[in-house]
Amino acid sequence: METAVANEDAARNAPNSTPQSGSATPRVSIAVDDTRKVRTLNVKAAVDNLSFYYGQHRALKNLTIPIAERQVTALIGPSGCGKSTFLRCFNRMHDLQPDTRYEGSITLHPDNLNLVGAGVDPIEVRMRIGMVFQKPNPFPKSVFENVAYGLRLRGLRNRATLAEEVEKALRGSALWDEVKDRLQDSALALSGGQMQRLCIARALATTPEILLFDEPTSALDPIATAKIEELISTLRDQVTVLIVTHNMQQAARVSDYTAFMYLGELIEFDEAAKIFTNPAKKATEDYITGRYG
Amino acid sequence: MHSDPMEGHTAKAFDGALTQLRLHTVGMGGLVIDQVSTAVRALLDADAALAQTVLSRELQVNEMERAVDREAFELIALHQPVAGDLRMATAVSRITVELERVGDESKKIARFASRMASGEPQGPVRAVARYLQHMAELTSGMLRDAVRALDESDSDLADQVRARDSELDAEFAAALRQLLTLAMQDQRNLGVTIDTVFALKGLERIGDHAKNIAEQVVFIASGRDMRHKKAVGRASA
Repeated sequence: METAVANEDAARNAPNSTPQSGSATPRVSIAVDDTRKVRTLNVKAAVDNLSFYYGQHRALKNLTIPIAERQVTALIGPSGCGKSTFLRCFNRMHDLQPDTRYEGSITLHPDNLNLVGAGVDPIEVRMRIGMVFQKPNPFPKSVFENVAYGLRLRGLRNRATLAEEVEKALRGSALWDEVKDRLQDSALALSGGQMQRLCIARALATTPEILLFDEPTSALDPIATAKIEELISTLRDQVTVLIVTHNMQQAARVSDYTAFMYLGELIEFDEAAKIFTNPAKKATEDYITGRYG
Repeated sequence: MHSDPMEGHTAKAFDGALTQLRLHTVGMGGLVIDQVSTAVRALLDADAALAQTVLSRELQVNEMERAVDREAFELIALHQPVAGDLRMATAVSRITVELERVGDESKKIARFASRMASGEPQGPVRAVARYLQHMAELTSGMLRDAVRALDESDSDLADQVRARDSELDAEFAAALRQLLTLAMQDQRNLGVTIDTVFALKGLERIGDHAKNIAEQVVFIASGRDMRHKKAVGRASA
């Protein structure tokens, strides 16, 4: 791990998203604990001065956050703070709504693609950035077809390769052992937790670079929730994860980095261990300790 | 940073549990401070009844340690505290250990006082009475301020407590020199002299415990870990 001296407050409160040039995945440094030690993270996506508008309403205000490569970053904050709006910028979900507008940039590394750039095709973005929603939403098709769907869209036709890729994705989402004998059954016959893991498999099948989770366990029981959380922890080996959650303990359990948002602004970004033991901002402390509102 | 303890949680039961935890710890602190001063008074006055008071209250100190520790444990299990609340719960567990050890030191001084009351020679204690008195005042003051700092989440006051420990160490060294001189002049009371050294050392240790409590208060209030760091600044008392 590299160390570098950085201005502690500036690094912690407004992470430097102007990455060091010259490497495939740029690095930024953030200060950790009360010493001058800093931790350097590899940036998969650099969010720089991002604002987002619904018509005249400015829902996101100048967000600057480094999204660490192959790490889990959690977005927390009260309802209406903009965390889901922020998440949806990454795969251009807002483009499906009229009269919306982005300002600033989300630069995907290593190829410096601005995900919200005007000339960038949202379909191409969605090919690279997967998403899992609050309620499991499998297609009314077989388990196999749910996972194969995205692969077929990308032109994969070979039956043996398809089967191989489907198995790989189902193993990746820790579902294979439970469904390997019922691949042709309807996905709608699975339990809620299984359906959600199927949706994760569907997203994983197309090998996304970033996987977005929008409150993925809010409709699940504690055991299914634990399985999804465990899965998210293992996914960090292969994909960058960004998760929105209302469950503070979940953010503490699964995330490496946590961003606290309020009224469309980033209040604090730091390592999860720092945020949940000694946050720098009073607003963060009030929110995570339940003193908010 | 630390949330104002007066500012409530949305969950009132959590508020109540945190407040009770703090109050019970402060209450235990109050009893322990009284144990120190009563034990030293019993020693200086060779008062068997006062010594007995300390010894019988020792059980109460132990019970309070168990009760407060259980409360902190349950608070963590039932409310899953984070940030300042979590620091409070974990630090209180450590503070009760420190307080219980202060109680143990007081108990040892009280036992010595009992022996003095039953006719042991008083020369060595008399020789350092002024130091015993002063060290008891210093340690009680440090403990009182450490507990008040906990009650009021006052890290400045806690920092002052840490700085005062060196004064106590100096008093201990001076008293020790005095006793050594005495022992060299008159070796008949060597046993009591050694017990007196233990009493002085006990008070010096109580100062360390007060300092440790103050460090935990700084941790609660600011998240800074002050353990094994030198106290800076000037003692104000």
